[in-house]
Amino acid sequence: MPQVFPKRMNPISRIMLLSIPLIISTAGVSLATFFRSDYTTGRNEVVDQPIPFSHLHHVSELGIDCRYCHTSVEHSAYAGIPPSKTCMNCHQQVWNGADLLDPLRSSYNTNTPIVWTKVHNVPQYTYFNHSIHVSKGVGCYSCHERIDQMPLVRQSKTLLMEWCLDCHRNPEKNIRPKSEIYNLGWKPSDGTIDTDGEVFSLEKGTGTQAEIGRILKEKYHIREEKILTNCSMCHR
Amino acid sequence: MALDFDPNAESNGAGGIPDDQFQSLEQVFGSPEFERMMKDEFPEDAAEWLDPVTRRRFLTLSGASVALAAAAGCNPSLKPASQKKIIPYVKKPEAIVPGVPLFFPTALTLGGVAVGVLVKTVEGRPIKVEGNPAHPGSLGSTDVLAQATMLSVYDPERSKGITEKGQPSTWDKVQTALKAVVDSQVSKKGAGLRILSEPAGSKTTFAGLMADLKAKLPEMKWIQYEAVGTENVLAGVREAYGKYLTPIFDFKKADTLVSIDADFLTNGIAGIRYTRDAMSRRKVRVHADSRRADGVSLEKLSRIYAVESNVTSMGGVADHRLPLKPSEIESFVRELAKAVGVQNVPAAGPLSERAKEWVAVVAEDLKDEKKTGVVTIGNAYSVVAHNLVHAINDKIGAVTKGAVSFVEPVGAELAGKNADAAANGTGSLAELTAEMNAGKVDTLIILNCNPVFTAPADLKFGAALQKVPNSIHLGLYLDETSALTTWHINGTHELETWGDAQAYDGTATVQQPLLNLYGSHSALEVLVALADKPSSAESIVQDTWRKFHAAQKIAVDFDLFWHKSVERGVIEGTEAKAVEIKAGDVKLSDTTQKSPAPATKASDIELVFRPDPTIYDGRFANNGWLQELPKPISLVCWDNPALVSPATAERLKCEVSYAWTAGEHGQSHVDKIEITIEDRKARVPVWVVPGLADDVIVLHFGLGREIVGEVGKGVGFNVYPLRSTKALWTVGGIKPEPGSAERTQEKYTLASTQGQHAMEGRRPARHGTKEQAAKELKSEHGHMVMAVHGKDAFSFADNPPASAAEKDLMRALLPGTPKEREWMADEHHPQKFFAKGFKNNIHTHEEEGEEGGDHHAHDKRLLPLTLIQDHEHNKLYRRWGMAIDLGACIGCNACAIACVAENNIPVLGKTEVTRGRIMHWIRIDRYFSVPEEHGGTQRMDAKERAEVIAKSTAEVKLHFQPVPCQQCEKAPCELVCPVAATVHSADGLNDMVYNRCVGTRYCANNCPYKVRRFNFVQYANYDKESTLQLVNNPEVTMRTRGVMEKCTYCVQRIRAAEIEAEREHDNPARRKVQTPMGVRPLIEEGEIKTACQAACPSNAISFGDLNQDQYVPVAKDAKGEWKPTGRRLPFSEVARWKLEPSNYGLLAELNTMPRTSYLAAIKNPNPKLLADAGKGGHG
Repeated sequence: MPQVFPKRMNPISRIMLLSIPLIISTAGVSLATFFRSDYTTGRNEVVDQPIPFSHLHHVSELGIDCRYCHTSVEHSAYAGIPPSKTCMNCHQQVWNGADLLDPLRSSYNTNTPIVWTKVHNVPQYTYFNHSIHVSKGVGCYSCHERIDQMPLVRQSKTLLMEWCLDCHRNPEKNIRPKSEIYNLGWKPSDGTIDTDGEVFSLEKGTGTQAEIGRILKEKYHIREEKILTNCSMCHR
Repeated sequence: MALDFDPNAESNGAGGIPDDQFQSLEQVFGSPEFERMMKDEFPEDAAEWLDPVTRRRFLTLSGASVALAAAAGCNPSLKPASQKKIIPYVKKPEAIVPGVPLFFPTALTLGGVAVGVLVKTVEGRPIKVEGNPAHPGSLGSTDVLAQATMLSVYDPERSKGITEKGQPSTWDKVQTALKAVVDSQVSKKGAGLRILSEPAGSKTTFAGLMADLKAKLPEMKWIQYEAVGTENVLAGVREAYGKYLTPIFDFKKADTLVSIDADFLTNGIAGIRYTRDAMSRRKVRVHADSRRADGVSLEKLSRIYAVESNVTSMGGVADHRLPLKPSEIESFVRELAKAVGVQNVPAAGPLSERAKEWVAVVAEDLKDEKKTGVVTIGNAYSVVAHNLVHAINDKIGAVTKGAVSFVEPVGAELAGKNADAAANGTGSLAELTAEMNAGKVDTLIILNCNPVFTAPADLKFGAALQKVPNSIHLGLYLDETSALTTWHINGTHELETWGDAQAYDGTATVQQPLLNLYGSHSALEVLVALADKPSSAESIVQDTWRKFHAAQKIAVDFDLFWHKSVERGVIEGTEAKAVEIKAGDVKLSDTTQKSPAPATKASDIELVFRPDPTIYDGRFANNGWLQELPKPISLVCWDNPALVSPATAERLKCEVSYAWTAGEHGQSHVDKIEITIEDRKARVPVWVVPGLADDVIVLHFGLGREIVGEVGKGVGFNVYPLRSTKALWTVGGIKPEPGSAERTQEKYTLASTQGQHAMEGRRPARHGTKEQAAKELKSEHGHMVMAVHGKDAFSFADNPPASAAEKDLMRALLPGTPKEREWMADEHHPQKFFAKGFKNNIHTHEEEGEEGGDHHAHDKRLLPLTLIQDHEHNKLYRRWGMAIDLGACIGCNACAIACVAENNIPVLGKTEVTRGRIMHWIRIDRYFSVPEEHGGTQRMDAKERAEVIAKSTAEVKLHFQPVPCQQCEKAPCELVCPVAATVHSADGLNDMVYNRCVGTRYCANNCPYKVRRFNFVQYANYDKESTLQLVNNPEVTMRTRGVMEKCTYCVQRIRAAEIEAEREHDNPARRKVQTPMGVRPLIEEGEIKTACQAACPSNAISFGDLNQDQYVPVAKDAKGEWKPTGRRLPFSEVARWKLEPSNYGLLAELNTMPRTSYLAAIKNPNPKLLADAGKGGHG
């Protein structure tokens, strides 16, 4: 029986054989990349809201503290979305005729809540708690990045479990003095005075994140990796 | 070496565990199918979904979900991320912080008696009931009914509107109609107006409004009727003391307690409080610390005798149990009264030799001057018996010693001229029915009761109701009564309205509304409308207490008094006034003295009526949680079979033939009998319960509802037709023949969980006696210590036969035992705890004298062979553990239903339960055994055992054992999970990660305790439209189909407390402690209570940190350094329990190192009764 393939096909078949693992691994890498992509995780996606609320304007330009609106961030699992009343505290006086704020006024007048669309979605089997994070020195910035620079809120992290675990394994990377939790532009080298008066500065040799993290992990009694990575920490 | 046991070892050697317990009769008969069934974790049928219709639907659904998933992947607009909404408040109520629960004190009533509760609400939505520690009727605990009430609030099948003659109507029209009623009655002084309701407390607003109304309409009548009535109790006091009084028992004082069919928990009144008090004397603590209320020393262990016609929880915990027919119990009381020296006792009927022995022994025990005895009797017994019991209590000094006291009557109208009518609910109802038939009643208002269903059958209340021209019904449901009334008003649930209620001792509580789901109206509002007062329910309740405030001349101003009262859930100074009763005040009334001897005919069968343990009188029929809860003794759910003893079943020619075809014990095919009384008939299935009195048929009323929601409709059998005014609680003269009690050809399938999750004769529920325990103890330096040095467990609590070294090792592998602590502190410990500084804090007083105690070095060859790696870290810091005291467990199931409420456990329905799929995370195993003096059941072959059981005059004993996940330190389930969905946490929890679980069920197969539950079908309710969604705990994941679940020690509560403690790390008010892992904020003892622990009426469950004694409290000094501020913390309660010699681990010999352990029940039998029993005279 004559050979179906000429001899010159041999290298090609070898290449094809060798490329099988390559294809599989490429597929794996692509899938993994896809899994972590903005498309899948919803990162950086801007979501339509009934009112295009700007954190840039309210936080950076007007200097309103995070806790003015997100009142329960220190006491509850939820930071809290402000009730219409909170908005009306100012907007009864300011921009009280703006068309943009129609939904707010009608909400307030008719006693019907504004229905916002959730930007940061954590699965229902994951119990994230804001209060414990801010009380242990994890600033808003660690998860929300420069939300004060965002005209419209978007999710800046993947919110994948590996991202959570990254910090639960090495909290030092994200711990800052409690005086700076709500300071989104804080840098370790700023020369910080903590709520109890302790000073962190480059001069003292404590002006780096590594140093600050090491000191604060002890000071804030942050538990060890073994405990922080327990499944039941977040899944119940 | 491994822990293998010699199969030929003497089974009753020292510390041996004789196999004498059984759960069901099949175990006794040793059927091969049962053996095979026990080998399988899941009954065979459970693996398949055989129902063709649902299977097809499943395929459709799964197809749809695949399509949806594909669509979701391609279309960004379908991504869940852009679908979830946040809906904030418009104006946020001040107290509400989203995510932070609030607890509102209020009260729940049953038969007019309140239990104070705290209702947990999240974002304004009540989700869970806890007991109110400040309330005397609760002391922080709840019962089954209180726990399940949450589901009733959200029942989508509740009545949602007002109807007039079946047509929708409005509240305005009701008000107009009510006004018209009063207007038309004024001229007749209210002679044609009748109001029927449940009993109410004398100080309540309800009673006050009723008095106002009666002042206006003096001829009006108020009938207080309750199917589980207390007529006999009240009449008994009247006979004894000449007036109506409310007896109050203090069971904490009772050294000898004789319960004559007085099961606290089905008795209705103060069941929770009485259980707590009585069981506090059953928790033996050898290392009892007088400063703590852990339990009592061995000498103070009380003795309980139970004489009963049913098998109840009370009989289960008793030291001696005597099953008798109801008529024999009447005679027993008379004989007992005679034996303790009461004069003029009426003649008794015939009694068996055994019962006579009992009378002598019990009387002797009661007369013991050194001890406080007390006798209680159930509300089912005659006025004569109640009168006699008061005389006995007087004679034996229970009154002078304070075990029984009397207060002014708590019930409404019991003090006035209407007292006799108010006390006799059934009599008043009969009178009312007569008047209705005679056409004397123009308007009947029925508030929150369902008399058409619950009234005695001979009254034919339904027919009489149709003769009343104008009838108004207010209730939670459209029911049998509302179908026959002119008006129906959708009534509020107790959590939906302002009101007030009184506890068993008169203490009043303000009830506050937590929501009003369907715009319902309360009974108070109806009375307000009748009185034509322009006020709301809130202001009318306030007015009541404003008057009280003024009358009592309370110093603080009313607003403060009101707010404090509402906030505490108890109104101070409202407990009923004590009435001084001196010894000898009691008398036997003429009727008592002249009453004829109770007629007992040996050949006759007697019927016994009792309220259903979970459905009560029928009002909870539409509550799925309660329907699915196995009844405490029979372990049957979704039904109310007639209970009979094996011998009676034989007389009735009934058998319980089990469907072994599927190898499962979730379902049993049983015979039905037809019982006829006069012209009234009922057909009920028969269920055999060992230990029940012979020739007794126990019927539980409350099921068999016809007009109710879909859940309760047609579930069980209606036995009310057999109940009549003459024979409310018992009917004699039944014969096993046609026209009386006859077996029918019909078969019926019952769902019972008694054979599911059996643990193959390893004698899991251990128990011993006071004598046995005393023998193994000696006194040293004022402490009780084990007589044999180096032994840390009583023989009866110890592990199965093994070599001494193995036994030591087994104890050392049981978290929390003295041996384990010793070993952990040992330098030879493989985990080198000494490096971490683990201290064996037990013998600190000894260490001072000798050098370091004398713990012998462990034989290193005895290291346990195991494939499971050591969770070294799980002993370093917080180390959660649980201990359950079997001596105090009464098997009431409150823990199970609290767990259902806390952990969103789904209701499956009868069909699924018969497939062995019940989802409860904590189950109460109930074992029967026959005492050795009656031949025991150990070392007998199946036939012999069967004979012993069948001779049911033998006193069958019961043992209860709650079994949640044991949280093994070396958990067999973790080893076999292919996807690491069940793993260990650092604090020692056996975590179950639902989102990782792929449903292989290997874990459940490998679990020796059979505590894992699998979602075979989509049980959890995802229907967003359903109001039932609202009852779910948002802190617990809803599990989907294909996922394994189990007890987590309420991890959501642990984590919530941890977060609170950790959050307060810089708050000086939060104590800091030095732990092996550094300085940590301390979670104080009692901050975390698991749902089962919190609910338990007898405080039989303890939970906490086993390592608490390793911590040293610290504070910052001037330099900012942490310095110890005191000595190490004391042992936590659970750690103290685990140090007890009665502590043992369930199947601990399997080397699982369970964190949950049990304290063997220590019984206090009377040696005389044991010795006498040897003479025979029974059977």
